[in-house]
Amino acid sequence: MVDRNETVNGVMTLSATTATEDLVRRAQNGETSARDELARENQRAAFLFALHLVGNHDDALDISQEAMLRFFSTLDRFQSGRAVRPWLFAIVRNQARDFWRRSKLRRHESLDESIPDLSRALVDDGDDPEQSAFRREQQARVWRVVSRLPRAQREILVLRDFHDLSYEEIATVLGIPMGTVMSRLHAARMNLRRKYLALASHQAARSDS
Amino acid sequence: MSSQCRNDFDQALLSGYLDDVLTQQDTQRVRLHLETCTTCSHLVEEMKTTREVTMTSTFATPPDDQWDERPSAGLSRLSFGLGWGILIIWFVASVGFALGQLWSGPESLTEKLLIFSALTAVTLLLLSVLIDRLKRLGSDRYRRIEK
Repeated sequence: MVDRNETVNGVMTLSATTATEDLVRRAQNGETSARDELARENQRAAFLFALHLVGNHDDALDISQEAMLRFFSTLDRFQSGRAVRPWLFAIVRNQARDFWRRSKLRRHESLDESIPDLSRALVDDGDDPEQSAFRREQQARVWRVVSRLPRAQREILVLRDFHDLSYEEIATVLGIPMGTVMSRLHAARMNLRRKYLALASHQAARSDS
Repeated sequence: MSSQCRNDFDQALLSGYLDDVLTQQDTQRVRLHLETCTTCSHLVEEMKTTREVTMTSTFATPPDDQWDERPSAGLSRLSFGLGWGILIIWFVASVGFALGQLWSGPESLTEKLLIFSALTAVTLLLLSVLIDRLKRLGSDRYRRIEK
């Protein structure tokens, strides 16, 4: 098996590489350094996925922290040859669902599924300033719209277009058939486009007046 | 090139095309369609740009030491479970004892009914919390994740 060492958004992709397989096996055997390394490689991805689901930094940290604990407490049940990220993301998603349930009970929230504006959590990656300003504006607009998507569309969109999971991995995380992934993803992309255009024209109208 | 997309073309295939997951036959079908349909060509280009925009986004993440500073939930979860266990045992024993005393006590029927109602209310409240927690455990999809 060939190692895929490329990174996606600074997070190492973990599609069952030989190195990851070995790392998981060592962690399962109780090797502390392997567990630490596994945590370091995955906690950031877990945090980002949680952030995309709930939109709040502190809640995302709580959710991802809890997910990492669950991840390690059930590590012995995991087959080392399989990709880590879909498994971990399924745990994160499950924790987020518990969080929503608790929030609803606590705050009597409405069925509005939008979350706090994700564009506020964006940071500048320090590229060419001129290009960066334009790109930043685009990014801010896209993530603002992503925050307003229904939950099911938001999660499938970020899994594919930010975390770069394959359709098969997405199906595992969401517990849906492979065949559903493409249609749901396309619906999400179309809704994003619709809302993006509406936001852009609204902003243009405001700047004109 | 047509600006109107044919009704019989499944636009979801465009996402599959963008993500390179289509069969050879479907890929060819989409390619041929894109040659004649400007609507879909623009759509693919827009989706490609949006994907680039999201993929290149960077978010603020917690510093490494913030992870380490957080207390381990393992011990707190154990304390939580033990606490609930002891509380339930204590509650059942206390209610049993109180009912026994009440049954054989000299209080009037009204007093007995008042105390019994209060105990029933507290029991039902505790039960509702327990049922809610058990339901949450039952719907834990994480448990169904296979090895």
